[in-house]
Amino acid sequence: MRRNPLLAIATILAVLVSSFLVFTTLSARAIVENNTSRWQNGVHVVIFLDDRVTSTAHKQLQETLESYSEVRMVEYFSKSEAAEEFKELFSGQQELLDEVDFETLPTSLRVNLNNPSDYQLIIERMEGNAAVREIRASGEAIERLLSLTNTLVFSATTFAVLIGFAAFILIINTLRLTAFARRKEIKIMKTIGASSTYIRLPFIFEAVFESLIGTSIAIGLGWSVIQYSKNSVIAQSIFDISISDSYLINLTLFLILSTLLFGFFASFVGIRKVLND
Amino acid sequence: MIKLDNVSLVFQGGSVALSNVSTKIKEGEFVYLIGHSGSGKSSLLKLLYKEYVATKGDIDVVGMDVTTLPKWKVPILRRKLGIVTQEPQLLEDRTTFENISFALEVLGYEESEIEQKTSTLIELVELEESMYKFPSQLSGGEQTRACIARALASNPLLLLCDEPTGNLDPTLSTQIVTLLEKINRAGTTIVMATHDSSIVNRRKKRVLQLHQGKLMSDVPQGRYI
Repeated sequence: MRRNPLLAIATILAVLVSSFLVFTTLSARAIVENNTSRWQNGVHVVIFLDDRVTSTAHKQLQETLESYSEVRMVEYFSKSEAAEEFKELFSGQQELLDEVDFETLPTSLRVNLNNPSDYQLIIERMEGNAAVREIRASGEAIERLLSLTNTLVFSATTFAVLIGFAAFILIINTLRLTAFARRKEIKIMKTIGASSTYIRLPFIFEAVFESLIGTSIAIGLGWSVIQYSKNSVIAQSIFDISISDSYLINLTLFLILSTLLFGFFASFVGIRKVLND
Repeated sequence: MIKLDNVSLVFQGGSVALSNVSTKIKEGEFVYLIGHSGSGKSSLLKLLYKEYVATKGDIDVVGMDVTTLPKWKVPILRRKLGIVTQEPQLLEDRTTFENISFALEVLGYEESEIEQKTSTLIELVELEESMYKFPSQLSGGEQTRACIARALASNPLLLLCDEPTGNLDPTLSTQIVTLLEKINRAGTTIVMATHDSSIVNRRKKRVLQLHQGKLMSDVPQGRYI
């Protein structure tokens, strides 16, 4: 490191960026999976009922829905329950609550599906039914979100791998330059009878040390970003930034272990040529 | 101590460095390896410490079968040998004392032993006055003596010297050979490659002569012809 400080800094930065991307990508995926699974286990289709139709018709519609094999559960939501939910959702906006006539809120059937992607089938079957006023499905939104998440995760992972590869090349290059600068010392050691392991040790130490610095900073930044996100506007509105500490600890350990192996392997490749000369 | 049986060395490209060399060197001998430049002296020495690998034949050094010796065991072989090259290989940023103690560090000696043993080695090669000088402040002869001291760090059974007097004037060359004979009298077998006829003719030791990779003669108390 003392011989090539700039190259060492470049190596640390490359490892840092790569590790940070891996950390944030995997954390983000876990957060999205938590949210989507919560949504997927919730309500997938909401069928607003026409108040002009009798409650018997509503009851029949519920029974029809419950008879479908794709449906796991149907829940009837009365006007008063809809009013309670509305009040809870807009509890901070008294002016709005004062203006709303809760009698206008429709009753609804909230449908939970075995497979959320079957929402389209339910919509098709319910369309044209006299008891139905409007249908809304969350499946499409979940699908879009999952598709977007998968694209983002794939892009970030590809980028992380590319940066990781660049870090690998940088470490090898740093070690080769160091080994070149120390070629006379290495030659003397080999002549005296030093083992390959003895000669390799300082190089392994350098590679592992640089990698560990980069990864440690990346992990610190990753934890900070997650803590910050938990208190952000997004977390308080649509997205629940919840990720378990045990997941983060496992991720941290995984990254540190990977870094150790990464540094060890890079040093092995980096000075192989010098040792064989 | 050394046994060569029909040893040949052919480099990539077909250049023949050694051809069917067979000889034996006993424990405690002092042997001069002579020949013109390119005759194969250095190649023969490098085969003995497995810097080169023989194309053909069997080599046995200090009881180890060098021909079949796996790569990971080469350091074990080299710890039983002392190697002195023509160009003194000293670390420029270390003093004479540090250059010699470096070998002992590599060999895994305890710190307390290192200081004591380094002092003994410095005394043996008579470099007491130059022990805190850096290589650039040493004469050619002193540099060679420092290299000999370092080569002796592992208490080698065999000392291989590749033209250690090649860059020295006759007086300094004589000093180096005198030092090597002193080491030889203490029990270390020595093989010294040289093309310095005056040294060989005066010392009357066993002489192996190489010519174009072939062993032309093997004479006890020989002369440089």
